[in-house]
Amino acid sequence: MKAEFSNEQAGGETKSFLSFKLDNENFTIPVMKIMEILEVPKITKVPQAPNFLVGVINLRGAVLPVIDTRVKFSMSPIEYTINTCILVLSIEVNDEVIEVGALVDSVSEVFELNEARILPSPTIATKYRADYIKGMIQEDDHFLMVLDIDKVFSSNDLESISEYKEEKLDETQD
Amino acid sequence: MDEMKETYIQEANELLENLESSLLSLESNPNDGSNIEQVFRVMHTLKGNSSMFGLTKIAEFVHDLETIYDKIRQNEMQLSKPILDTTLLALDHLNKIIIDSELEEEDNQLNHTNLIAQIHTFIGKSGSVEKKEDSSVETEQDVEGPITYHVMFAPDASIFLDGTNPLILVSELTGLGKNIVIPHFKAQSIEEFNPLDCITFWDVFIETDKSIDDIKDVFVFVEDSSTIVINELKYTNLVSNKEFGEYVSSYMFKEKSIDVNEINELADKVGESSVKESSKAVEVTPVKAQTEAKVTTKKEAKEKVLSSIRVSSDKLDELMNLVSELVTTQASLTLFSQKNESPELEVISENIEKLSRRLRDIAFGMTLVPINNMFSRFQRLVRDVSNSLGKEVQFVTEGGETELDKSIIETLTDPLMHIIRNSLDHGLELPETREEQNKPRKGTVKLKAFYSGISVYIQIIDDGKGIDAEIIRNKAIAKGFVSPEQELSDKEIFDFIFYPGFSTAEVVTDISGRGVGMDVVKRNITDLKGSIVVESAVGVGTTLTIKLPLSLSIIDGLLVEIAKVNYIIPLSVVNKCYEVSNSEMKGNFNKLLVLDDKQIPFINIRREFGYKQQPDEEKSQIIVVSDADRKVGISVDHIVGEYQAVVKPIGKYYKNQDFISGATILGDGSIALVMDSHKIIDLYTEHSKLETK
Repeated sequence: MKAEFSNEQAGGETKSFLSFKLDNENFTIPVMKIMEILEVPKITKVPQAPNFLVGVINLRGAVLPVIDTRVKFSMSPIEYTINTCILVLSIEVNDEVIEVGALVDSVSEVFELNEARILPSPTIATKYRADYIKGMIQEDDHFLMVLDIDKVFSSNDLESISEYKEEKLDETQD
Repeated sequence: MDEMKETYIQEANELLENLESSLLSLESNPNDGSNIEQVFRVMHTLKGNSSMFGLTKIAEFVHDLETIYDKIRQNEMQLSKPILDTTLLALDHLNKIIIDSELEEEDNQLNHTNLIAQIHTFIGKSGSVEKKEDSSVETEQDVEGPITYHVMFAPDASIFLDGTNPLILVSELTGLGKNIVIPHFKAQSIEEFNPLDCITFWDVFIETDKSIDDIKDVFVFVEDSSTIVINELKYTNLVSNKEFGEYVSSYMFKEKSIDVNEINELADKVGESSVKESSKAVEVTPVKAQTEAKVTTKKEAKEKVLSSIRVSSDKLDELMNLVSELVTTQASLTLFSQKNESPELEVISENIEKLSRRLRDIAFGMTLVPINNMFSRFQRLVRDVSNSLGKEVQFVTEGGETELDKSIIETLTDPLMHIIRNSLDHGLELPETREEQNKPRKGTVKLKAFYSGISVYIQIIDDGKGIDAEIIRNKAIAKGFVSPEQELSDKEIFDFIFYPGFSTAEVVTDISGRGVGMDVVKRNITDLKGSIVVESAVGVGTTLTIKLPLSLSIIDGLLVEIAKVNYIIPLSVVNKCYEVSNSEMKGNFNKLLVLDDKQIPFINIRREFGYKQQPDEEKSQIIVVSDADRKVGISVDHIVGEYQAVVKPIGKYYKNQDFISGATILGDGSIALVMDSHKIIDLYTEHSKLETK
């Protein structure tokens, strides 16, 4: 599997990435941004918060807000399974580094990749907001989407990553 | 050395602050001897510190200032407004020159010279003859071989043009020992008179054990242009001699300098006869008394210094963090000991709880400073500004003992200063206008601080002309902030004051409108996680209320449970707890419960927070909390107990859930949310408003 990502092209830095799944879609983010991966502990819900904010957890004495990444991306709320976990991310919002936990369905693997291999995301025929996606990586017959997590998690509003919310909902109904 | 300089500056700043508040209280109680003592003592410490660091310019300056207060202290001089004014100006100057100790900046140098001249007029006022007593302090060490010199100093007429102040030279000279200073004027007809010329010259008799070279040194910069004659006199104790003093004083303001031969003749006459017995005997006692006085003041000053030490705020932060962790760990220990039912363990755990609680209180107290420190700074501002505006103002402070985090106080100073300036400039009317409106001639500006919940409120209240909501509204419409049709409450209208670019003042004076707008005030306060609200009534006055977090990161709280979620209610707001049945709350439409024969409005938190499932039990607990001056009940499922909560921020994501002021980690590792009862009550009242609509 690793071989597929070998650095054929010159130029660009080789970085580590982590891939994870949300509702059968594959996403990836640079490992640099991930502080740690946790099993899901007891989450304390904050009343009257937006849906995607599932609550806060105790991360070794600090209080960490946790986001349901699926809701954030306009998918159905996460269903807790044995594979569900929290990615503790360090993101930059207005020059300030904050930590946030992101609930994902499962993590897949860590791989190395030359940045030059990230393909620009096609502006047409993508169902996700262009500024949330840094690019795509082709793997066999499917694509991994590289997320710009600073952008995705910096907005407090329930903004959908999907531009075609209705269509997406229609799909799920099908 | 730099570090030492820094220490000096820090200390000097503190001393100056101290001095300022003493001076201001001296102004309001001019006859209070203890204030004069205090002023003198602080000046003395400052002088000592300055000369210790070799900052002679500052030391000399403070010395002169100190001389005034020494005289007042000994009833040789009367405290007057000009003296206080000058001292306050000198204080401002000192604030500048403790950084620029060599007076490298031109402004400082100019100021320095001017102020010294002013101070000297005060010292001189009480007569040059008295000066000898004052300066006798300097001669503590004159045990053997003092020589009396006669110094004639006639500066060149153009001396002012090169920026030299001859008075400084004279004062430097008089600093050498016991002295008599006789000034003279060169008579000029009014036609010839040129105000830029120096027409004064001096005869100085000085008794010192310094050498003649030391005296020459004083004039080293002017010796080429000025006439300086130095004579050594035959007798040493002339300066203290009464007869001699009277004789030379008769020359004061004459056009002619005293002839040296005449002096020697006179010295011959009085010298032998009286010098030995009378003057020595008379002088010895006061000198001694004064030295003693000095020793005691020194001691007191020293005690004051020792009673506090400087700690870097980094260390304090670290201490606070450790204490927080200790409190959290201690909670786990308590939980563990409760489970284990071992009496021994329980005793240990309880002791540790007590200790950590005390440690917490002490660690906390260290970062908090009474707000009074800031208030006294404003006293000065109000005084200066109202003087320059020609307004009569009574400045009242209340709740100065309220404590706030030092960093909060620092950030708050500028905004508050701006608000107070505004109140003085635009709020308060001129005394005449006030009288016409049947208001007391003196306007009042009140600064009030008090605690409520885990917040501190600071109010700035004036009884001036108030703000006309209509004018603000029209202006807001003109500026396009709001459409003319929109209906706005007064509160919303007054909020426009904080919009950038919004100013209702027709005239920008140098007092307000210096570039710091109300928008900056608001931003500063918001940065501190605070809020600001304006209330005003035309003709009655304006009240600005600033709400700030206490920054108390550890609070005593009541741990409660609502729908299986733990919440903390700050114990400081909790009044009483009651048990009521759920049915009593359900069928209650006007949301009032009768508790202890009092009607108390209540909030059904379960409903407000949107918990859908019904409570397991029949009964709920009502926690009655105080909010400003009212009492409101909050319903919870269970009361777990008292809990020391280390409050941690829950992060930016929850900025719209500000009725939760933070979260804390319980002994078992789970999280409890800390309620802000004030915000919850606000929220509740808004909800009920919507419902009635």
